[in-house]
Amino acid sequence: MTEMRDVAAREMKIGFRNPWAYSFTALFALFMLSLLFINAQGYVTGYSGSSSTMLNLALYLLPLMALMLGSFSLTGEKEEGNWALLSTYPLGTWAFLTGKYTGLAIVLLAIVTFGFGLSGAVGSLLGGGFNFATYGQLFVFSLSLSFLFLGVALLIGTIAHNRWQALTIGVGIWFFAIIAWPSILIAALGMMPYTWIKPALTVLTFLNPAELTRLFTVVKLGGGSTLGPEYYNWMLWIRSPWGTPVFIGVLVLWIGTALTIAYRLWERERRRG
Amino acid sequence: MRTLPFCLIVFAGIVVAVCLSSGQAYAEQQPLELQQLLDQAKPGSRIVLPSGTYEGPITISKPLTLQAAESAGEVIVRNVSQQPAITLQADHITLTGLRIVDEAVKESASILVLGNRSVLDQLQVRTGSHGIQAKDANDGTVKRTTIEWAVDGMRMADKGNGIDLYNAHRWQMTNNTIRAVHDGIYMENSDEALVSRNVIERSRYGIHCMYTKRTVIKGNEGKLNVTGAMVMAAEQVAVTGNTFSKQSENVNSQGILLFDAHKTTVSDNKIDGNRVGLYVEQSTANQMERNQVSYNFVGIQLVEASDNTITSNQFWGNVTDAQARNSDDNTITGNYWDSFRGIDTNGDGHSELTYAINPLFQGLTRKRAAFQLFFQSPGMIFLEGLYQTERTRWTTDLSPLMKPHANLIQTEHQGDKLITGLMGLFMLSCTSLLFYKMRRPK
Repeated sequence: MTEMRDVAAREMKIGFRNPWAYSFTALFALFMLSLLFINAQGYVTGYSGSSSTMLNLALYLLPLMALMLGSFSLTGEKEEGNWALLSTYPLGTWAFLTGKYTGLAIVLLAIVTFGFGLSGAVGSLLGGGFNFATYGQLFVFSLSLSFLFLGVALLIGTIAHNRWQALTIGVGIWFFAIIAWPSILIAALGMMPYTWIKPALTVLTFLNPAELTRLFTVVKLGGGSTLGPEYYNWMLWIRSPWGTPVFIGVLVLWIGTALTIAYRLWERERRRG
Repeated sequence: MRTLPFCLIVFAGIVVAVCLSSGQAYAEQQPLELQQLLDQAKPGSRIVLPSGTYEGPITISKPLTLQAAESAGEVIVRNVSQQPAITLQADHITLTGLRIVDEAVKESASILVLGNRSVLDQLQVRTGSHGIQAKDANDGTVKRTTIEWAVDGMRMADKGNGIDLYNAHRWQMTNNTIRAVHDGIYMENSDEALVSRNVIERSRYGIHCMYTKRTVIKGNEGKLNVTGAMVMAAEQVAVTGNTFSKQSENVNSQGILLFDAHKTTVSDNKIDGNRVGLYVEQSTANQMERNQVSYNFVGIQLVEASDNTITSNQFWGNVTDAQARNSDDNTITGNYWDSFRGIDTNGDGHSELTYAINPLFQGLTRKRAAFQLFFQSPGMIFLEGLYQTERTRWTTDLSPLMKPHANLIQTEHQGDKLITGLMGLFMLSCTSLLFYKMRRPK
């Protein structure tokens, strides 16, 4: 436990001195503010044009941020030889990885909180502003998205040998999960028998953290009926008292699985090395 | 003899009725057989009931006025039978100020109107069936009346309608409040009805026209229904100045729906926070103008609709402004779409660039409904941007407005804006402090 805490503290120290973290903070805050200015008189509440735009902004930016910061952090250790040094100490791989995850998660938390804090404060001064519940839901959405992709990022950092590889894989995964997702699924599932489409789509949605969090948030914001009659049960279920705990459960399971796979790969490498 | 005092009271009642020149009868005491009093009243007389509870079912078979005394206390007509609480069999019957408690779940309505020119005023109806039903009866009036569903835990589909008209023409329904029924006001084969300034909540369809002509739906308010106003197989209906909000809970919700509707006018309505604001399917020659369509998930949806005129409407804050399929020969001009950025080269306030509605998503989800999951996802918006074939056949606003009209409504109360602001400030200062603390030491 202390090992993990030490790794996390070190990661935070590196993370908050990393110019990347500050440029991402500035970028995210700038985008949030510009959306707010475009929508100057509008009050953001529930699932509407402005909240949907913010949702999409977060979907573009935050996964990319988490993927880069996370994977670079791990590959950096490899490239700079820090890991070679660290592995001579009695430091467990699991403590190392979870420490890394915790430290980076706090950095991401700070970035997202800064962006939301700024837009929340400026928004209420401008005359538009957010409904408090909607604000909270968008904030939780952004955090969940960042944490999920941070899990993926550590997996990429484990597989990649250097920053370039990490960047290539990271951007590839980002493009696949965010931009190309509907196109690929429509093309692939369009060839399947009609009755297979919905089950296949359901399974695949659970595999894509971006879609998972987006749909959860759309329903929580009150937009569940846009999904149509096919997903009526999802809507009822997410809005039931079980919705949030189970979503958190899925989140933990997702991140846990990503870290476990990363751990296995890392351990294999360590034994060989 | 126990019946003797009773007979005396009835006799006294009749005497009073006869003596008063205006034809007014006062029922002095109760409990009383209301039916008997009605049977003995003269046609055209006015019966004023003192407060108290009267047992139904009752049938009125001659023109008369039955009203509650103006004094404090309620006149309650209670019915536990399977018949209507009150049946109006004759023409020219007026009911005023009664409270009808008819909670049995049954086929027959709480108030059944079979005669012409009935007036139902200031009633309060708690029903386990249709609140007021008129069959083959014309020229009736329902005003200032409240109708509520009485039985908890029933499915919407098993409930009765608030006001149900069948082959009943020229009815006027104004200033009524209807809650939690099946359809608020249902009109079938009933022409030239006036539906005005009613409030309808938590029902299936607020106002529902089936095979009607020249219905006027004006200044009503619909909230949290499945659909605000549904105009089906109807002609020359006018839907003006209504407010329909928050019809968004159901997967089939919309503010106003036109299906197989023709020569209908939909104007000056406020359509706010619904799943689909305006839904138009297989309808022709309708006029839709000056509506304010805001904060819906889909502003306007056109499906196989043609020859309609859609002008001067304002769409803003919707998740997506418009969806359209097979609806390319409508006249669409001069609407304001907040997601569209046009260019006005000649300064007439209209964009020279047209606003075309991308049909990709509609076409996709019609064939495979499961893909509805991608509604407004970033990847879907990206794909729509790529898909530009046959643009000339898309539903298009030829000269969209550059700016919204000044009278944009802001319906939401913004009470917790300040809390969000303070929370934002708190989050901002916490993170700033963290960034400062964690900085590289000099």
